[in-house]
Amino acid sequence: MRFTIERRLEQPRWLAVAVPIGSLLFALVVAGVVLLVTGHDPISTYRQLFDAAFISSGALDQTLIAATPLAFTGLAAAAAFRMRLFNIGAEGQLYMGAIVGAAAGLYFGGRGGPSAFVIAAMVVAGCLGGMAWGSIPGVLRAFLGTSEILTSLMLNYVAAYILTYLIFQSESYWRQTTGFNAKVFPTGKPLPPDAIWPSWTLNAQGGIGIPLGALLAVLVAVVLWVLYRRMRFGFEVQVLGDSDGAARYAGVRTRRKILAVMAISGAIAGLGGVSQDGDFRHALDGDPNGLQKQAYGYTGIVVAALARYNPFACLVVAFLLGGLNNAGNALQGADFPSGLVGVIEGIILFSALGGELLVRHRVRISRTAHAPAATEPAQ
Amino acid sequence: MPAVELRGITKRFPGVVANDAVDFTAEAGEVHALLGENGAGKSTLSHILSGLYRPDEGEIRVHGVPVAFHSPRDAIDAGICMVHQHFRLVDRFTVAQNLILGDRRGAGRRFRIDPGAVTDQVRRLGERYRLPVDPRARIWQLSVGERQRVEILKALYEEAKVLILDEPTAVLTPDESRTLFETLREIVAEGRTVIFISHKLREVKAVSDRVTVLRAGRVVATTNTADASPQSLASLMVGRTLETVQRRHTGTAEGDVVLALEDVWAHSDRATTSLKGVDVSVRAGEIVAVAGVAGNGQRELAETIAGLRGPTRGTVRVGGRRLPGGDARAAYRAGLGYVPEDRLGTGVAPNLSIAMNVDLKSYRDDSWGPFLRLARMRRRAEEAIRTYDIKAPGPDAEADTLSGGNIQKVVLAREFAGRLKALIAASPTRGLDVSAVETVHRHLCDAADRGVGVLLISEDLDEIFALADRVLVMYEGRLTEAPRDDRETIGVLMAGGHPAT
Amino acid sequence: MSGVNNSLIVALIASGVAYGTPLLFGSLGELLAERSGVLNLGVEGMMLVGAVMGFWTVQRVHAGAAVALTAAVLVAALSGAAMALIHAFLVITLRANQIVSGLALTIFAGAVGLSSYLGNDLNLADVPASHSFHAIFPSSMQSWPIVGPIAFGQNALVYLSWACVAAVAYYLARTRPGLNVRAVGEAPGAADAMGIDVAKYRYAHTLAGGAFAGVAGSTFTLAITPQWVNGITGGAGWIAIALVIFAFWRPELCLVGAYFFGSLQALAPELQARNISLGPTELWTNSIPYVATVVVLVLVSWRGASRRLGAPAALGSPYVREEVS
Repeated sequence: MRFTIERRLEQPRWLAVAVPIGSLLFALVVAGVVLLVTGHDPISTYRQLFDAAFISSGALDQTLIAATPLAFTGLAAAAAFRMRLFNIGAEGQLYMGAIVGAAAGLYFGGRGGPSAFVIAAMVVAGCLGGMAWGSIPGVLRAFLGTSEILTSLMLNYVAAYILTYLIFQSESYWRQTTGFNAKVFPTGKPLPPDAIWPSWTLNAQGGIGIPLGALLAVLVAVVLWVLYRRMRFGFEVQVLGDSDGAARYAGVRTRRKILAVMAISGAIAGLGGVSQDGDFRHALDGDPNGLQKQAYGYTGIVVAALARYNPFACLVVAFLLGGLNNAGNALQGADFPSGLVGVIEGIILFSALGGELLVRHRVRISRTAHAPAATEPAQ
Repeated sequence: MPAVELRGITKRFPGVVANDAVDFTAEAGEVHALLGENGAGKSTLSHILSGLYRPDEGEIRVHGVPVAFHSPRDAIDAGICMVHQHFRLVDRFTVAQNLILGDRRGAGRRFRIDPGAVTDQVRRLGERYRLPVDPRARIWQLSVGERQRVEILKALYEEAKVLILDEPTAVLTPDESRTLFETLREIVAEGRTVIFISHKLREVKAVSDRVTVLRAGRVVATTNTADASPQSLASLMVGRTLETVQRRHTGTAEGDVVLALEDVWAHSDRATTSLKGVDVSVRAGEIVAVAGVAGNGQRELAETIAGLRGPTRGTVRVGGRRLPGGDARAAYRAGLGYVPEDRLGTGVAPNLSIAMNVDLKSYRDDSWGPFLRLARMRRRAEEAIRTYDIKAPGPDAEADTLSGGNIQKVVLAREFAGRLKALIAASPTRGLDVSAVETVHRHLCDAADRGVGVLLISEDLDEIFALADRVLVMYEGRLTEAPRDDRETIGVLMAGGHPAT
Repeated sequence: MSGVNNSLIVALIASGVAYGTPLLFGSLGELLAERSGVLNLGVEGMMLVGAVMGFWTVQRVHAGAAVALTAAVLVAALSGAAMALIHAFLVITLRANQIVSGLALTIFAGAVGLSSYLGNDLNLADVPASHSFHAIFPSSMQSWPIVGPIAFGQNALVYLSWACVAAVAYYLARTRPGLNVRAVGEAPGAADAMGIDVAKYRYAHTLAGGAFAGVAGSTFTLAITPQWVNGITGGAGWIAIALVIFAFWRPELCLVGAYFFGSLQALAPELQARNISLGPTELWTNSIPYVATVVVLVLVSWRGASRRLGAPAALGSPYVREEVS
């Protein structure tokens, strides 16, 4: 028996949706087996997860909180990966956005001006912070041809050290220096009230808060979609993502595109960072066990890959993964298997990657060529 | 007993039967040519013989013994070695390392490598066959001709009894080709067999003892070369009397100069000087051909004109307007079209649809500010498919699923649209079958008749003689005008010699 | 003579060797995989699984120290290889994107995934290892000036790592399979044409990479901090990936780089022990390995250099034998 992998000549639309959903189901089955083998009941575990993620009181609220940063980092990754620019640096770009955004909030806030202005300043600052950090690998790639994968990865570490330093190892602008707690445990200076981002409450499930960040993420998704599908920019990105040679031939300004895409990607991640300050933490979180432990940047890549780099799908996947993460946190304890979240996420991604092959290729099973003596050769 | 025998070989790919019940034998001590137009199945057959592909049906016999190859290594162990058209060498390795790669005999079975012994062996081999190469040189340092020498040495090192050469003269000057043929004759004098794949009648007549003609995957004839005339071979290849496009030459062109290069100098990718003071002018309605062996600056010439590369000195003018260097978009705007040599890597974006490829340059003209006009783009694509008879499931089919000829049609459809003043075509018919070649030639002539100035860069002298009004020869970055009909002088110029006055 | 052995430099290098050993194992493994053309970003995940499974083994095997520890290291290697098998299958056979697959492996196996799952389910936390690696040489030799602490004060895993460096270097430079794998990583088409089984070599070297990563992880739980803590590797896997580049894909330079990075990691605790405060300098010393790697990256991608010094040419791309005539 021989397996041949053949390129499909045409790609039916339904396959592009069926395969991700199929891989999701496949993953749940496999993870279920893992649970079974290690002595847990898959059905009840899944029910607990689903419940903690979406159903129980306050679940959706928490899920949105977990999903919002993932939406930003997912969109950031999708924006870059679309052009085969593998920006692994969303993590660091998020931190930088948080730093610069918090600075704006601390500086412009509490002066008696309109809150909207302060928040707008924070948004701009966060984007700029992420954009600047993302531009470093962008410049290196555009002008020197250095792989952005590893440069952006390395910069994540540098950004993390900077973040920790600002709060834990120095008396910086961001550090809380007054108050009782300040001497005991280093924390960031709390943002003034007009720098705290609003949220709107839906009356369901005991009140679901829709943070400003979530709305901004939706806006970013729309903008990204228009940019990539309906504008010249997106056309050029597609060409460049497919073939360097064809892009140069067509007159696409390659360097500018690389810089632009890395800047956009970094800015989105940075926006995710300032959203953390303004929506949720209300201060700059430099604790290595806090923001840095969440790995939003890396998970964002998973989101983008599962969403096949479609901005709207990124929102949906971010919501689902946010629910998963939320449930994982909520259920942590003696009888709930810790680390399950990572295992499930990993398996989902593995099966999505494997399924990807099926979208572009067909697997044919054929018998080997028959033995030479068996047939008389045709004349 | 024939050295190699193929019986009833059939190989299918999605959408095409590449080899259809092919019978083929080659004897020891002969040079046997495999002749056919591009797409006839010659390469597929040779890949099957050398173990890269497995046949769907049929059998292979080596010295009368049936064999089944599961990998190229099996074929090499059976004494069959292929010298590829696109060299399969590891750039970073030395010559010696490339030769011993994968060797399973004798010393090859030893786990350790003894670098000194290998170097000596390689040097002796090179001297013996008059294919001198420095065993310690790295492949990326070698010229194209030297790399081919390494490939042949590799086959000899593996003690091949059957050597298969796939279009070996594509990268050689006429002189180098002659030397190659002498080497081949020496090789078969030792009792080895050479299978020589080509689509060039002239060469087949010059070097082979017997010739097998393939057409559309089937064998149409096997005969002694001496007994076959070029005309009979040609018509066997094509299946009808060959009717190439021949241009009527109306004397010197009178139109305006649409493309002019003045003292253009340019660098290659390796920062060596590739173009040295090139002067050329093409008038409206004229076809000017640039002959020459690959690697003498043709690629840099085409890219400099088309704006993919900036000249270090000199100017390029299209339609009288000076072009800013290195700006492909400006060249396009000025009315320059470019049909690149590398269809799949440059001419189209392989995984994008036909529609997007047809609009690869014109999407800006079609747009509404920064927004694309998708409906208009689609209509343009559909029209292109119709006009150029592009065989594809639809405008959304991905470009690299098309055949070579159809890909070229996509490129032509794109380049010939709009207000075209001058066109550069670099090896536009390489790898295409005869009907596709005819189509391309027809479009080039039509364009010239419409007033477009065409600069045709080609290594195929037959093509040049069929189409060109004027002939220039490119050698080491310099262009020299050559008499239009004088094949011999052109050959001398291609090798860098000076024709006798 | 003990004075010089207590100096900062000697102490730093000695600690650097200890801290650098997991980095060395990890980078050697990743080097092998990358030489065959496969980029595996899942090193952190593989290390953690190796760490947890090695620890579990040493807690469960009721035998003498030597047997238990050997078994533990073997189990760690196998676990790492098993993780690598997932990545190998996806990127070699199914031709998936190597970057995404590697990241998926890190998430699957890492501190929020399988290693945490196993650590918890098997109740491995908060208990020290039953056996752990100690210095082998007698303390008399350990007090020799300079070489004493640096060379003779180390445990068996460190000496094993030295043997591995020599073995990998010899393998790549002087043996036939080593030549073959280099061909696979540079020009898989050429290797295939010469009859080398590209897929087989890539699988073998990716799995070997996983095995090394597993051993690297076990270094933490069996030698450095002989205990299991979730996420104990603390990013060593990522540093190992950076190290391969920093070392220009050469095993000998991996050793140099690993100890350099290790020394930087040892700097803060050693200074603290001497009551010297670093202050803001800590930020710099922590960042140096990463910034240095970026510099190396820029250097090797510079046009002229890449031919001589750069990455294996086919790194990161799936190999498909051309099937179109």
